[in-house]
Amino acid sequence: MKPRSRQRLRRVVLIALQMLVLIIVLIPFFWMFSVSLKPANEPFAIPARLWPDNPTIENYKTAFQPEFRRYFLNSAIISLATIVISISVGLLAAYSFSRFQIRGFGFLLVAIILAQMFPVATIIIPIFKMVREAGLLNTYFGLIIAYITITLPVSIWMLLGFIGNIPPDLEESAMIDGASRFQAFWKVVVPLARPGIVATAVWIVVVTWQEFMFALAFTQTREMRTVSVGMNDYIGQYGIRYGELMASSVMFSIPIVVVFFILQRQFVAGLTAGATKG
Amino acid sequence: MTAQPAKSTRSDRRHWGRGAYSGREALLALAFLVPAVILVGLLMYYPMILAFVESLYETSFLNPEPEFIGLQNYRDMLQDGGFWQVVRNSLFWTIGVVLFQNVIGMAVAILFNQDLPFRGLSRTLVLLPWVLPGIVAAILWRFMYDPQLGLINSILISLGLVDKSIPWLAQPSTAMLAVIIAAVWKGFPFSTVIYLAALQIVDEEQLEAAQIDGANAVQRFRYVSIPAMVHIIFLNLLLTTIFTFNYFDMIWVTTKGGPINRTHIFPTTIFQIGFGEFRFGEAAAYGVVAVLLLAGLAVLYILQLRTGDDRI
Repeated sequence: MKPRSRQRLRRVVLIALQMLVLIIVLIPFFWMFSVSLKPANEPFAIPARLWPDNPTIENYKTAFQPEFRRYFLNSAIISLATIVISISVGLLAAYSFSRFQIRGFGFLLVAIILAQMFPVATIIIPIFKMVREAGLLNTYFGLIIAYITITLPVSIWMLLGFIGNIPPDLEESAMIDGASRFQAFWKVVVPLARPGIVATAVWIVVVTWQEFMFALAFTQTREMRTVSVGMNDYIGQYGIRYGELMASSVMFSIPIVVVFFILQRQFVAGLTAGATKG
Repeated sequence: MTAQPAKSTRSDRRHWGRGAYSGREALLALAFLVPAVILVGLLMYYPMILAFVESLYETSFLNPEPEFIGLQNYRDMLQDGGFWQVVRNSLFWTIGVVLFQNVIGMAVAILFNQDLPFRGLSRTLVLLPWVLPGIVAAILWRFMYDPQLGLINSILISLGLVDKSIPWLAQPSTAMLAVIIAAVWKGFPFSTVIYLAALQIVDEEQLEAAQIDGANAVQRFRYVSIPAMVHIIFLNLLLTTIFTFNYFDMIWVTTKGGPINRTHIFPTTIFQIGFGEFRFGEAAAYGVVAVLLLAGLAVLYILQLRTGDDRI
Protein backbone atom coordinates (compact mmCIF):
# COMPACT_ATOMS: atom_id res chain seq x y z
CA MET A 1 0.00 0.00 0.00
CA LYS A 2 1.13 3.52 -0.67
CA PRO A 3 2.10 5.50 2.44
CA ARG A 4 -0.68 8.02 1.86
CA SER A 5 -3.50 5.53 1.61
CA ARG A 6 -2.02 3.74 4.59
CA GLN A 7 -2.21 7.00 6.48
CA ARG A 8 -5.83 7.38 5.45
CA LEU A 9 -6.70 3.83 6.46
CA ARG A 10 -5.06 4.40 9.82
CA ARG A 11 -7.14 7.49 10.35
CA VAL A 12 -10.36 5.72 9.43
CA VAL A 13 -9.58 2.94 11.89
CA LEU A 14 -8.79 5.44 14.64
CA ILE A 15 -12.02 7.35 14.06
CA ALA A 16 -13.99 4.10 14.07
CA LEU A 17 -12.40 3.20 17.42
CA GLN A 18 -13.19 6.66 18.76
CA MET A 19 -16.83 6.19 17.77
CA LEU A 20 -16.91 2.76 19.39
CA VAL A 21 -15.56 4.12 22.68
CA LEU A 22 -18.06 6.97 22.68
CA ILE A 23 -20.95 4.62 21.87
CA ILE A 24 -20.04 2.29 24.74
CA VAL A 25 -19.70 5.23 27.11
CA LEU A 26 -22.87 7.00 26.03
CA ILE A 27 -25.38 4.20 25.34
CA PRO A 28 -26.33 3.69 29.00
CA PHE A 29 -26.92 7.46 29.30
CA PHE A 30 -29.00 7.48 26.17
CA TRP A 31 -31.05 4.60 27.47
CA MET A 32 -31.53 6.22 30.86
CA PHE A 33 -32.87 9.31 29.14
CA SER A 34 -35.00 7.32 26.70
CA VAL A 35 -36.67 5.23 29.42
CA SER A 36 -37.29 8.34 31.50
CA LEU A 37 -39.43 9.66 28.62
CA LYS A 38 -41.40 6.48 28.10
CA PRO A 39 -45.04 6.30 29.13
CA ALA A 40 -45.76 3.89 32.01
CA ASN A 41 -46.50 0.83 29.88
CA GLU A 42 -43.75 1.18 27.33
CA PRO A 43 -40.55 0.13 29.15
CA PHE A 44 -42.03 -3.33 29.21
CA ALA A 45 -41.98 -3.79 25.46
CA ILE A 46 -39.76 -6.69 24.37
CA PRO A 47 -37.32 -6.35 22.76
CA ALA A 48 -36.53 -3.02 24.37
CA ARG A 49 -37.17 -0.13 22.02
CA LEU A 50 -34.38 2.44 21.90
CA TRP A 51 -36.60 5.47 21.69
CA PRO A 52 -40.17 5.87 22.99
CA ASP A 53 -42.98 6.07 20.42
CA ASN A 54 -44.78 8.66 22.50
CA PRO A 55 -42.24 10.54 24.61
CA THR A 56 -43.74 12.13 27.71
CA ILE A 57 -42.47 14.06 30.72
CA GLU A 58 -45.05 12.35 32.94
CA ASN A 59 -42.33 10.40 34.78
CA TYR A 60 -40.54 13.59 35.70
CA LYS A 61 -43.70 15.10 37.12
CA THR A 62 -44.40 11.98 39.18
CA ALA A 63 -40.82 11.66 40.38
CA PHE A 64 -40.40 15.30 41.31
CA GLN A 65 -42.65 15.03 44.35
CA PRO A 66 -42.10 16.94 47.64
CA GLU A 67 -40.23 13.96 49.05
CA PHE A 68 -37.69 14.01 46.24
CA ARG A 69 -37.26 17.78 46.56
CA ARG A 70 -36.52 17.27 50.22
CA TYR A 71 -33.81 14.70 49.39
CA PHE A 72 -32.27 17.22 47.02
CA LEU A 73 -32.23 19.91 49.64
CA ASN A 74 -30.64 17.56 52.17
CA SER A 75 -27.91 16.51 49.74
CA ALA A 76 -27.22 20.12 48.83
CA ILE A 77 -26.97 21.31 52.46
CA ILE A 78 -24.68 18.45 53.44
CA SER A 79 -22.42 18.83 50.40
CA LEU A 80 -22.11 22.57 50.89
CA ALA A 81 -21.27 22.33 54.59
CA THR A 82 -18.71 19.61 53.89
CA ILE A 83 -17.07 21.81 51.25
CA VAL A 84 -16.87 24.83 53.56
CA ILE A 85 -15.38 22.88 56.46
CA SER A 86 -12.98 20.73 54.42
CA ILE A 87 -11.69 23.65 52.40
CA SER A 88 -11.18 26.06 55.28
CA VAL A 89 -9.53 23.51 57.56
CA GLY A 90 -7.63 22.09 54.58
CA LEU A 91 -6.32 25.48 53.43
CA LEU A 92 -4.91 26.35 56.84
CA ALA A 93 -3.25 22.97 57.19
CA ALA A 94 -1.90 22.96 53.64
CA TYR A 95 -0.43 26.43 54.14
CA SER A 96 1.23 25.41 57.36
CA PHE A 97 2.69 22.23 55.84
CA SER A 98 3.90 24.08 52.79
CA ARG A 99 5.56 27.06 54.50
CA PHE A 100 6.95 25.83 57.79
CA GLN A 101 9.55 23.21 58.34
CA ILE A 102 9.06 22.27 61.92
CA ARG A 103 10.13 18.98 63.41
CA GLY A 104 7.27 16.52 63.34
CA PHE A 105 5.40 18.17 60.45
CA GLY A 106 6.64 15.56 58.01
CA PHE A 107 5.30 12.82 60.22
CA LEU A 108 1.92 14.55 60.59
CA LEU A 109 1.63 15.00 56.85
CA VAL A 110 2.30 11.30 56.24
CA ALA A 111 -0.26 10.44 58.91
CA ILE A 112 -2.87 12.57 57.14
CA ILE A 113 -2.11 11.15 53.71
CA LEU A 114 -2.23 7.66 55.12
CA ALA A 115 -5.70 8.37 56.50
CA GLN A 116 -7.14 8.61 52.99
CA MET A 117 -6.19 4.98 52.43
CA PHE A 118 -8.36 3.72 55.30
CA PRO A 119 -11.26 1.56 54.21
CA VAL A 120 -14.42 3.52 54.93
CA ALA A 121 -16.24 0.27 55.73
CA THR A 122 -13.87 -0.28 58.65
CA ILE A 123 -14.42 3.05 60.36
CA ILE A 124 -18.12 3.32 59.59
CA ILE A 125 -19.17 1.26 62.64
CA PRO A 126 -17.08 3.18 65.23
CA ILE A 127 -18.12 6.51 63.69
CA PHE A 128 -21.72 5.36 63.74
CA LYS A 129 -21.41 4.64 67.46
CA MET A 130 -19.66 7.97 68.15
CA VAL A 131 -22.32 9.89 66.26
CA ARG A 132 -25.07 7.93 67.99
CA GLU A 133 -23.61 8.63 71.43
CA ALA A 134 -23.34 12.33 70.60
CA GLY A 135 -27.04 12.22 69.73
CA LEU A 136 -26.29 13.29 66.15
CA LEU A 137 -27.68 10.28 64.34
CA ASN A 138 -30.23 11.30 61.76
CA THR A 139 -29.04 14.92 61.69
CA TYR A 140 -27.22 16.89 59.02
CA PHE A 141 -24.32 17.29 61.38
CA GLY A 142 -23.86 13.54 61.78
CA LEU A 143 -23.47 13.03 58.04
CA ILE A 144 -21.26 16.10 57.64
CA ILE A 145 -18.89 14.66 60.26
CA ALA A 146 -18.86 11.36 58.39
CA TYR A 147 -18.13 13.05 55.06
CA ILE A 148 -15.25 15.05 56.49
CA THR A 149 -13.48 11.75 57.12
CA ILE A 150 -13.58 11.12 53.38
CA THR A 151 -12.86 14.63 52.12
CA LEU A 152 -10.46 16.29 54.55
CA PRO A 153 -7.29 14.25 53.93
CA VAL A 154 -7.73 14.54 50.15
CA SER A 155 -8.49 18.28 50.41
CA ILE A 156 -5.29 18.91 52.33
CA TRP A 157 -3.35 16.89 49.79
CA MET A 158 -4.84 18.63 46.74
CA LEU A 159 -4.53 22.12 48.23
CA LEU A 160 -0.95 21.44 49.26
CA GLY A 161 -0.12 20.93 45.59
CA PHE A 162 -1.54 24.31 44.65
CA ILE A 163 -0.14 26.29 47.56
CA GLY A 164 3.28 24.71 47.05
CA ASN A 165 3.32 26.32 43.61
CA ILE A 166 2.70 29.84 44.90
CA PRO A 167 6.06 31.57 45.43
CA PRO A 168 6.57 32.49 49.10
CA ASP A 169 8.12 35.82 48.00
CA LEU A 170 4.64 37.18 47.43
CA GLU A 171 3.64 36.85 51.09
CA GLU A 172 7.05 38.07 52.14
CA SER A 173 6.58 41.33 50.27
CA ALA A 174 3.12 41.73 51.78
CA MET A 175 4.61 41.21 55.21
CA ILE A 176 7.37 43.70 54.56
CA ASP A 177 4.59 46.13 53.71
CA GLY A 178 3.23 45.56 57.19
CA ALA A 179 0.77 42.71 56.81
CA SER A 180 0.67 40.07 59.51
CA ARG A 181 1.31 36.46 58.57
CA PHE A 182 -2.41 35.72 58.72
CA GLN A 183 -3.25 38.74 56.57
CA ALA A 184 -0.62 37.67 54.07
CA PHE A 185 -2.17 34.21 53.98
CA TRP A 186 -5.71 35.52 53.66
CA LYS A 187 -5.13 38.37 51.20
CA VAL A 188 -2.31 36.94 49.07
CA VAL A 189 -2.24 33.15 49.23
CA VAL A 190 -5.94 32.34 49.33
CA PRO A 191 -6.85 34.37 46.21
CA LEU A 192 -3.93 32.87 44.31
CA ALA A 193 -4.95 29.37 45.35
CA ARG A 194 -8.42 29.87 43.89
CA PRO A 195 -8.07 27.41 40.99
CA GLY A 196 -6.98 24.81 43.51
CA ILE A 197 -9.87 25.64 45.80
CA VAL A 198 -12.31 25.28 42.92
CA ALA A 199 -10.82 21.95 41.81
CA THR A 200 -10.94 20.63 45.37
CA ALA A 201 -14.50 21.85 45.87
CA VAL A 202 -15.61 20.11 42.67
CA TRP A 203 -14.00 16.89 43.83
CA ILE A 204 -15.77 17.17 47.20
CA VAL A 205 -19.15 17.83 45.62
CA VAL A 206 -18.74 14.89 43.22
CA VAL A 207 -18.01 12.64 46.20
CA THR A 208 -20.51 13.89 48.77
CA TRP A 209 -23.41 14.48 46.38
CA GLN A 210 -23.51 10.79 45.59
CA GLU A 211 -22.20 9.23 48.81
CA PHE A 212 -24.25 6.18 49.66
CA MET A 213 -22.89 3.97 52.44
CA PHE A 214 -22.75 6.55 55.25
CA ALA A 215 -26.04 8.07 54.17
CA LEU A 216 -27.68 4.65 54.21
CA ALA A 217 -26.47 3.92 57.75
CA PHE A 218 -26.81 7.38 59.28
CA THR A 219 -30.24 8.54 58.11
CA GLN A 220 -33.28 6.84 59.51
CA THR A 221 -36.24 8.97 58.60
CA ARG A 222 -37.57 9.98 55.21
CA GLU A 223 -36.97 13.66 55.94
CA MET A 224 -33.26 13.15 56.46
CA ARG A 225 -32.61 10.98 53.41
CA THR A 226 -30.14 12.18 50.80
CA VAL A 227 -30.92 11.69 47.13
CA SER A 228 -28.77 8.58 46.78
CA VAL A 229 -30.55 6.76 49.62
CA GLY A 230 -33.92 8.05 48.44
CA MET A 231 -33.19 6.63 44.99
CA ASN A 232 -32.23 3.29 46.47
CA ASP A 233 -35.54 3.29 48.35
CA TYR A 234 -37.38 3.74 45.09
CA ILE A 235 -36.17 0.36 43.89
CA GLY A 236 -38.09 -1.63 46.45
CA GLN A 237 -40.87 0.80 47.11
CA TYR A 238 -42.52 0.80 43.72
CA GLY A 239 -41.60 -2.69 42.57
CA ILE A 240 -39.12 -0.99 40.23
CA ARG A 241 -41.01 1.60 38.25
CA TYR A 242 -38.17 2.13 35.85
CA GLY A 243 -39.65 5.14 34.08
CA GLU A 244 -39.80 7.16 37.30
CA LEU A 245 -36.54 5.73 38.55
CA MET A 246 -34.75 6.83 35.39
CA ALA A 247 -36.43 10.25 35.52
CA SER A 248 -35.14 10.74 39.07
CA SER A 249 -31.73 9.45 37.97
CA VAL A 250 -31.59 12.09 35.27
CA MET A 251 -32.65 14.82 37.71
CA PHE A 252 -30.14 13.62 40.30
CA SER A 253 -27.28 13.51 37.77
CA ILE A 254 -27.91 16.82 36.04
CA PRO A 255 -26.66 19.17 38.81
CA ILE A 256 -23.40 17.32 39.20
CA VAL A 257 -22.86 16.97 35.46
CA VAL A 258 -23.55 20.69 34.97
CA VAL A 259 -21.15 21.70 37.75
CA PHE A 260 -18.62 19.38 36.25
CA PHE A 261 -18.96 20.72 32.71
CA ILE A 262 -18.66 24.33 33.80
CA LEU A 263 -15.57 23.67 35.88
CA GLN A 264 -14.10 20.65 34.12
CA ARG A 265 -10.98 22.39 32.85
CA GLN A 266 -9.94 23.52 36.30
CA PHE A 267 -10.98 20.24 37.77
CA VAL A 268 -9.04 18.05 35.37
CA ALA A 269 -6.05 20.34 35.74
CA GLY A 270 -6.30 19.96 39.52
CA LEU A 271 -6.69 16.21 39.31
CA THR A 272 -3.69 15.76 37.10
CA ALA A 273 -1.44 18.60 38.28
CA GLY A 274 0.42 16.46 40.75
CA ALA A 275 0.30 13.27 38.74
CA THR A 276 2.37 14.75 35.94
CA LYS A 277 4.76 16.75 38.06
CA GLY A 278 5.28 14.02 40.65
CA MET B 1 -9.53 10.78 43.33
CA THR B 2 -6.49 12.47 44.60
CA ALA B 3 -4.01 14.81 43.13
CA GLN B 4 -0.57 14.82 44.42
CA PRO B 5 1.04 18.14 45.21
CA ALA B 6 3.62 19.54 42.93
CA LYS B 7 7.17 19.39 43.96
CA SER B 8 8.45 22.41 45.77
CA THR B 9 12.16 22.49 46.08
CA ARG B 10 13.91 22.83 49.37
CA SER B 11 15.55 26.02 48.29
CA ASP B 12 12.36 28.03 47.94
CA ARG B 13 11.29 27.05 51.44
CA ARG B 14 14.69 27.91 52.92
CA HIS B 15 13.88 31.35 51.70
CA TRP B 16 11.73 31.62 54.81
CA GLY B 17 14.29 31.97 57.55
CA ARG B 18 16.06 28.63 57.16
CA GLY B 19 13.83 26.68 59.48
CA ALA B 20 14.29 29.07 62.36
CA TYR B 21 11.05 30.77 63.25
CA SER B 22 10.15 33.30 65.83
CA GLY B 23 8.00 31.97 68.65
CA ARG B 24 4.93 33.69 67.24
CA GLU B 25 5.47 32.25 63.78
CA ALA B 26 5.85 28.73 65.11
CA LEU B 27 2.76 29.17 67.23
CA LEU B 28 0.78 30.31 64.22
CA ALA B 29 2.06 27.37 62.17
CA LEU B 30 0.79 25.05 64.87
CA ALA B 31 -2.52 26.88 65.25
CA PHE B 32 -3.12 26.47 61.51
CA LEU B 33 -2.64 22.73 61.85
CA VAL B 34 -4.68 22.14 64.98
CA PRO B 35 -8.16 21.86 63.37
CA ALA B 36 -6.94 19.40 60.73
CA VAL B 37 -5.00 17.28 63.18
CA ILE B 38 -7.89 17.14 65.63
CA LEU B 39 -10.40 16.21 62.93
CA VAL B 40 -8.22 13.55 61.27
CA GLY B 41 -7.24 12.14 64.67
CA LEU B 42 -10.74 12.14 66.09
CA LEU B 43 -12.56 11.02 62.96
CA MET B 44 -10.06 8.58 61.44
CA TYR B 45 -7.39 7.35 63.80
CA TYR B 46 -9.57 7.12 66.88
CA PRO B 47 -12.33 5.16 65.06
CA MET B 48 -9.62 2.94 63.58
CA ILE B 49 -8.48 2.06 67.11
CA LEU B 50 -12.10 1.63 68.19
CA ALA B 51 -12.60 -0.83 65.32
CA PHE B 52 -9.74 -2.96 66.67
CA VAL B 53 -11.24 -2.83 70.16
CA GLU B 54 -14.73 -3.55 68.89
CA SER B 55 -13.49 -6.66 67.08
CA LEU B 56 -12.60 -8.17 70.47
CA TYR B 57 -16.17 -7.91 71.69
CA GLU B 58 -19.36 -9.69 70.87
CA THR B 59 -22.54 -7.73 70.31
CA SER B 60 -25.70 -8.98 68.74
CA PHE B 61 -29.22 -7.77 68.27
CA LEU B 62 -30.40 -9.85 71.22
CA ASN B 63 -27.43 -8.98 73.38
CA PRO B 64 -26.63 -5.30 72.72
CA GLU B 65 -24.34 -5.08 75.76
CA PRO B 66 -20.82 -5.77 74.39
CA GLU B 67 -19.12 -8.80 75.90
CA PHE B 68 -15.34 -9.23 75.76
CA ILE B 69 -14.43 -12.42 73.91
CA GLY B 70 -10.80 -11.80 72.90
CA LEU B 71 -9.88 -13.16 69.50
CA GLN B 72 -12.94 -15.38 69.24
CA ASN B 73 -14.39 -13.32 66.37
CA TYR B 74 -11.23 -13.93 64.36
CA ARG B 75 -11.18 -17.64 65.17
CA ASP B 76 -14.80 -17.99 64.10
CA MET B 77 -14.14 -16.01 60.97
CA LEU B 78 -11.16 -18.05 59.83
CA GLN B 79 -13.13 -21.27 60.30
CA ASP B 80 -16.12 -19.93 58.44
CA GLY B 81 -16.26 -20.74 54.74
CA GLY B 82 -18.07 -17.46 54.14
CA PHE B 83 -14.96 -15.52 55.10
CA TRP B 84 -12.79 -17.25 52.52
CA GLN B 85 -15.49 -16.71 49.93
CA VAL B 86 -15.31 -12.97 50.69
CA VAL B 87 -11.51 -13.01 50.39
CA ARG B 88 -11.71 -14.82 47.05
CA ASN B 89 -14.45 -12.51 45.76
CA SER B 90 -12.54 -9.42 46.85
CA LEU B 91 -9.39 -10.57 45.08
CA PHE B 92 -11.26 -11.47 41.92
CA TRP B 93 -13.23 -8.23 41.94
CA THR B 94 -10.27 -5.98 42.73
CA ILE B 95 -7.84 -7.55 40.26
CA GLY B 96 -10.49 -7.76 37.54
CA VAL B 97 -11.66 -4.18 37.84
CA VAL B 98 -8.18 -2.67 38.29
CA LEU B 99 -6.69 -4.60 35.38
CA PHE B 100 -9.42 -3.82 32.85
CA GLN B 101 -9.88 -0.28 34.09
CA ASN B 102 -6.21 0.52 33.64
CA VAL B 103 -5.65 -1.34 30.37
CA ILE B 104 -8.77 0.16 28.79
CA GLY B 105 -8.01 3.52 30.41
CA MET B 106 -4.55 3.55 28.86
CA ALA B 107 -5.78 2.35 25.46
CA VAL B 108 -8.43 5.07 25.32
CA ALA B 109 -5.91 7.66 26.50
CA ILE B 110 -3.56 6.71 23.64
CA LEU B 111 -6.47 6.79 21.19
CA PHE B 112 -7.73 10.19 22.38
CA ASN B 113 -4.19 11.53 22.30
CA GLN B 114 -4.20 11.15 18.48
CA ASP B 115 -5.25 13.90 16.16
CA LEU B 116 -8.96 13.08 15.84
CA PRO B 117 -12.08 15.08 15.04
CA PHE B 118 -13.88 16.45 18.15
CA ARG B 119 -11.00 15.41 20.33
CA GLY B 120 -11.71 17.90 23.12
CA LEU B 121 -15.40 17.01 23.21
CA SER B 122 -14.61 13.29 23.19
CA ARG B 123 -12.26 13.70 26.12
CA THR B 124 -14.98 15.46 28.08
CA LEU B 125 -17.74 13.00 27.19
CA VAL B 126 -15.63 10.02 28.15
CA LEU B 127 -15.48 11.35 31.71
CA LEU B 128 -19.26 11.22 32.09
CA PRO B 129 -19.48 7.75 33.69
CA TRP B 130 -17.02 8.82 36.35
CA VAL B 131 -19.06 11.92 37.18
CA LEU B 132 -22.36 10.03 37.17
CA PRO B 133 -23.47 9.41 40.78
CA GLY B 134 -22.48 5.90 41.86
CA ILE B 135 -26.00 4.97 42.86
CA VAL B 136 -27.35 6.03 39.46
CA ALA B 137 -24.66 4.01 37.69
CA ALA B 138 -25.57 1.00 39.80
CA ILE B 139 -29.31 1.31 39.20
CA LEU B 140 -28.69 1.91 35.51
CA TRP B 141 -26.58 -1.23 35.16
CA ARG B 142 -29.06 -3.26 37.15
CA PHE B 143 -31.59 -2.17 34.58
CA MET B 144 -29.20 -2.87 31.68
CA TYR B 145 -28.78 -6.46 32.88
CA ASP B 146 -32.46 -7.06 33.58
CA PRO B 147 -33.50 -10.34 31.92
CA GLN B 148 -36.89 -9.01 30.75
CA LEU B 149 -36.31 -5.32 30.15
CA GLY B 150 -32.57 -5.03 29.91
CA LEU B 151 -30.83 -3.53 26.92
CA ILE B 152 -27.94 -5.99 27.05
CA ASN B 153 -30.13 -9.04 26.56
CA SER B 154 -32.11 -7.23 23.87
CA ILE B 155 -28.94 -6.41 21.96
CA LEU B 156 -27.48 -9.89 22.31
CA ILE B 157 -30.73 -11.49 21.16
CA SER B 158 -31.21 -9.19 18.21
CA LEU B 159 -27.60 -9.84 17.15
CA GLY B 160 -28.36 -13.56 17.40
CA LEU B 161 -25.55 -14.12 19.90
CA VAL B 162 -27.82 -15.74 22.48
CA ASP B 163 -31.26 -17.27 21.97
CA LYS B 164 -32.82 -16.49 25.33
CA SER B 165 -32.39 -13.86 28.00
CA ILE B 166 -29.60 -14.38 30.51
CA PRO B 167 -30.19 -13.32 34.13
CA TRP B 168 -26.69 -11.86 34.36
CA LEU B 169 -26.87 -10.64 37.95
CA ALA B 170 -28.94 -13.51 39.31
CA GLN B 171 -26.94 -16.56 38.26
CA PRO B 172 -23.77 -17.42 40.21
CA SER B 173 -21.67 -18.08 37.11
CA THR B 174 -22.08 -14.62 35.59
CA ALA B 175 -22.81 -12.26 38.51
CA MET B 176 -19.21 -11.36 39.32
CA LEU B 177 -18.32 -10.82 35.68
CA ALA B 178 -21.38 -8.59 35.28
CA VAL B 179 -20.55 -6.35 38.24
CA ILE B 180 -16.92 -6.12 37.13
CA ILE B 181 -17.97 -4.93 33.67
CA ALA B 182 -20.27 -2.32 35.19
CA ALA B 183 -17.53 -1.10 37.54
CA VAL B 184 -15.01 -0.89 34.70
CA TRP B 185 -17.44 1.20 32.66
CA LYS B 186 -17.80 3.54 35.63
CA GLY B 187 -14.11 3.67 36.52
CA PHE B 188 -11.98 3.56 33.38
CA PRO B 189 -12.51 7.28 32.56
CA PHE B 190 -10.59 8.22 35.69
CA SER B 191 -7.58 6.24 34.48
CA THR B 192 -7.98 7.71 31.01
CA VAL B 193 -7.74 11.27 32.35
CA ILE B 194 -4.67 10.48 34.41
CA TYR B 195 -2.97 8.66 31.53
CA LEU B 196 -3.86 11.42 29.06
CA ALA B 197 -2.05 13.84 31.35
CA ALA B 198 0.83 11.40 31.67
CA LEU B 199 1.20 11.09 27.89
CA GLN B 200 1.78 14.84 27.70
CA ILE B 201 5.04 14.52 29.61
CA VAL B 202 6.52 11.94 27.24
CA ASP B 203 9.33 13.62 25.35
CA GLU B 204 8.33 14.17 21.69
CA GLU B 205 11.96 14.35 20.55
CA GLN B 206 12.77 10.99 22.10
CA LEU B 207 9.78 9.47 20.34
CA GLU B 208 10.92 10.93 17.00
CA ALA B 209 14.47 9.77 17.56
CA ALA B 210 13.23 6.26 18.27
CA GLN B 211 11.11 6.36 15.13
CA ILE B 212 14.10 7.41 13.01
CA ASP B 213 16.04 4.52 14.53
CA GLY B 214 13.33 2.22 13.20
CA ALA B 215 11.29 1.52 16.32
CA ASN B 216 7.66 0.69 15.55
CA ALA B 217 4.72 2.10 17.51
CA VAL B 218 4.67 -0.77 20.02
CA GLN B 219 8.41 -0.49 20.62
CA ARG B 220 8.21 3.27 21.01
CA PHE B 221 5.44 2.83 23.57
CA ARG B 222 7.33 0.09 25.40
CA TYR B 223 10.77 1.70 25.48
CA VAL B 224 10.07 5.45 25.47
CA SER B 225 6.55 6.18 26.74
CA ILE B 226 6.24 3.60 29.52
CA PRO B 227 9.54 4.46 31.24
CA ALA B 228 8.55 8.15 31.24
CA MET B 229 5.16 7.37 32.78
CA VAL B 230 6.10 4.56 35.13
CA HIS B 231 5.73 6.64 38.28
CA ILE B 232 2.20 7.72 37.33
CA ILE B 233 1.18 4.25 36.20
CA PHE B 234 2.28 2.82 39.52
CA LEU B 235 0.50 5.51 41.51
CA ASN B 236 -2.67 5.08 39.49
CA LEU B 237 -2.60 1.29 39.95
CA LEU B 238 -2.28 1.78 43.70
CA LEU B 239 -5.08 4.32 43.89
CA THR B 240 -7.49 2.33 41.74
CA THR B 241 -6.70 -0.84 43.72
CA ILE B 242 -7.53 0.80 47.03
CA PHE B 243 -10.57 2.52 45.62
CA THR B 244 -11.91 -0.67 44.01
CA PHE B 245 -11.32 -2.77 47.11
CA ASN B 246 -13.44 -0.28 49.06
CA TYR B 247 -16.12 0.24 46.40
CA PHE B 248 -19.53 -0.39 47.93
CA ASP B 249 -22.36 1.16 45.90
CA MET B 250 -22.20 -0.89 42.73
CA ILE B 251 -22.40 -4.32 44.34
CA TRP B 252 -24.81 -3.32 47.09
CA VAL B 253 -27.34 -1.93 44.64
CA THR B 254 -27.00 -4.53 41.88
CA THR B 255 -26.66 -7.84 43.76
CA LYS B 256 -26.41 -7.12 47.51
CA GLY B 257 -23.60 -9.67 47.54
CA GLY B 258 -25.67 -12.43 45.93
CA PRO B 259 -26.44 -14.76 44.35
CA ILE B 260 -25.40 -17.16 47.13
CA ASN B 261 -22.72 -14.72 48.31
CA ARG B 262 -20.93 -14.87 44.98
CA THR B 263 -20.33 -11.11 44.87
CA HIS B 264 -19.93 -10.27 48.58
CA ILE B 265 -16.73 -8.25 49.04
CA PHE B 266 -15.37 -6.71 52.24
CA PRO B 267 -17.38 -3.45 52.31
CA THR B 268 -20.71 -5.14 51.50
CA THR B 269 -20.05 -7.92 54.03
CA ILE B 270 -19.12 -5.45 56.77
CA PHE B 271 -22.21 -3.39 56.08
CA GLN B 272 -24.44 -6.46 55.98
CA ILE B 273 -23.10 -7.95 59.23
CA GLY B 274 -22.92 -4.60 61.02
CA PHE B 275 -26.05 -2.77 60.00
CA GLY B 276 -28.14 -5.66 58.70
CA GLU B 277 -27.53 -8.08 61.56
CA PHE B 278 -26.15 -5.74 64.26
CA ARG B 279 -23.22 -8.05 64.93
CA PHE B 280 -20.81 -5.13 65.34
CA GLY B 281 -17.92 -7.18 66.73
CA GLU B 282 -17.84 -9.57 63.82
CA ALA B 283 -18.22 -6.75 61.31
CA ALA B 284 -15.33 -4.95 62.99
CA ALA B 285 -13.18 -8.09 62.71
CA TYR B 286 -13.84 -8.12 58.95
CA GLY B 287 -12.92 -4.44 58.93
CA VAL B 288 -9.61 -5.09 60.68
CA VAL B 289 -8.75 -7.79 58.13
CA ALA B 290 -9.59 -5.31 55.36
CA VAL B 291 -7.18 -2.80 56.89
CA LEU B 292 -4.44 -5.40 57.15
CA LEU B 293 -4.96 -6.43 53.53
CA LEU B 294 -4.64 -2.81 52.42
CA ALA B 295 -1.83 -1.86 54.80
CA GLY B 296 0.91 -3.10 52.48
CA LEU B 297 -0.50 -1.06 49.61
CA ALA B 298 -0.80 2.04 51.79
CA VAL B 299 2.86 1.78 52.75
CA LEU B 300 3.82 1.39 49.09
CA TYR B 301 1.78 4.49 48.31
CA ILE B 302 3.59 6.56 50.93
CA LEU B 303 6.99 5.30 49.78
CA GLN B 304 6.12 6.07 46.19
CA LEU B 305 5.09 9.62 47.10
CA ARG B 306 8.29 10.06 49.08
CA THR B 307 10.43 9.25 46.05
CA GLY B 308 8.40 11.64 43.94
CA ASP B 309 8.50 14.48 46.41
CA ASP B 310 11.23 15.51 48.76
CA ARG B 311 8.82 17.27 51.07
CA ILE B 312 7.81 14.28 53.16
